[in-house]
Amino acid sequence: MTDAELIDKLKADLGDRVEIANPARRRLFLKVAPGDLVAGTTRLRDAYGVVLLSTISGVDLGTAFEIIYHFSTPEHDFNLRTEIPRDDPRVATITTVIPGAILYEREVQDMFGIVVDGIPDGRRLLLSDDWPEGQHPLRKDWTHDRPKEVIPGGQS
Amino acid sequence: MKFQIPIGPQHPALKEPISLRMTVEGEVITDADIRLGYNHRGVEKVAEGKNYIQNIYLTERICGICSHSHSTCFVQGVEKLMELEPPKRGMYIRYLVSELERIHSHLLWLGVAGHEAGFDSLFMYVWRDREIVMDLLEMITGNRVHYAINTVGGVRRDLDEAQKAKILEGVATLRKRSEYYLDLGANEPSFVARIAGVGLLSLEQVISLCAVGPTARASGWDRDVRKEDPYAVYDELDFEVATADTCDVLGRVVVRIKEVLEAYKMIEQMMKNLPDGDIACKAPRKAKPGEVVSRYEAPRGENIHYIKANGTDKPERLKVRAPTLGNYPATVEMLKNGFIADIPLIFAAIDPCICCAERAVTLVSARTGEESVVSTAELRKLALARTKNAPVKRNAVWPL
Repeated sequence: MTDAELIDKLKADLGDRVEIANPARRRLFLKVAPGDLVAGTTRLRDAYGVVLLSTISGVDLGTAFEIIYHFSTPEHDFNLRTEIPRDDPRVATITTVIPGAILYEREVQDMFGIVVDGIPDGRRLLLSDDWPEGQHPLRKDWTHDRPKEVIPGGQS
Repeated sequence: MKFQIPIGPQHPALKEPISLRMTVEGEVITDADIRLGYNHRGVEKVAEGKNYIQNIYLTERICGICSHSHSTCFVQGVEKLMELEPPKRGMYIRYLVSELERIHSHLLWLGVAGHEAGFDSLFMYVWRDREIVMDLLEMITGNRVHYAINTVGGVRRDLDEAQKAKILEGVATLRKRSEYYLDLGANEPSFVARIAGVGLLSLEQVISLCAVGPTARASGWDRDVRKEDPYAVYDELDFEVATADTCDVLGRVVVRIKEVLEAYKMIEQMMKNLPDGDIACKAPRKAKPGEVVSRYEAPRGENIHYIKANGTDKPERLKVRAPTLGNYPATVEMLKNGFIADIPLIFAAIDPCICCAERAVTLVSARTGEESVVSTAELRKLALARTKNAPVKRNAVWPL
């Protein structure tokens, strides 16, 4: 199936709930509303054989967070994206559809402070246990101040 | 009676910090848990503050074994963002280094697998042969680990005829030896008995847990980015995706050796068809706003970089997913219902060791779960008493 045929099929199937972009061969970017995320993933898995999730990327857009789910099949790459408001960052888990998403969802929780509703195991993955609450390193307004190095005996 | 055994994050047998927590019943592992983050360096955050050229060197330092795969994945994404057409000769040299790196990584793994299975002769043979490919990499790039050959728009060093001849000579030697290892790995009875049926991972588990690379291919999942999404030169090369259907460590050994044999084939084709011309084209400093998903088949599986540009000379966002992270959920499943003695074998790439993990002074009876705390002095007394009564001849004289 060529990209154009697949886009026509997706449009007929999902209607105007999805915006499709195709910037390069094989690469499809699908934009859905946060509420349609789980339904869209389920539909892609059941009807298009999309089972391999490569990763989940979070992007801080300033006023919103964008979350991109990178899927692929042997013929096409599906990048499913959704935007959630920055002041109430909540998104539903897709582990009910793709169980392998668990580590990536935990990573997004740690790094952006996005709350994944219904995640089966919401513990911290990358940040240490004594990391202060509410600090999320990949947010654009988060900066790291390196503590001044103290050399015993003073600088020589 | 259930025990929890922590391994790591700091442990003499671990080469890298990771925390594994095994729940065991006797010798059988009933549950496993993985905790990451001990080596988190914040590369994605740092990348947002560096320009595209600096980021090549940063991404190269994500990994010490497949360093070239991260920098290549990043560079091929940036070239798409900048709409560059790198010259063919440069591409052939870049992916020649990729395949040589795959060989060195798989041979390293095979040696470690042999060592963990108690077959140290294999380990020594394989690591001796790995020096051939390490020397080739050093000859081509000037470095053994961080090759630093990639640049946006091509590569930084050219090949000459003498080097081509040396590469072909090295590959011919390696092929002969790898065929022997394939024969050995698949047929040597004691080695096969140790690795067959260990670390089972069914095809259904591979699909649901999104496993990648040789781990997935050993369970019959024939996905390879080089084949399904051929980047740069791979659509001009003739190769096959190596798979196995035994779903265990034996399958992973076979898949990796077969991949090495395919890599020799590809290197010979690349050397034969190496085009003339430039090795790099001039690249702009900035990239137009846009985004790209770059995929690359690293030795351990699919490597994916998502790069978003904002019009400056620095990326807005760089997301890196290394294949090992994708295989962790599958590793947990592989460890379940296995034996403690199989952990190092299943987890071979990370090399944990269980036998020296527990040195606790709380003794728990395995049958009743009764706990008794023993002081160090008492423990020492017990140990001395045990040595005294041991059936060793006192004051034995060494015959030589």
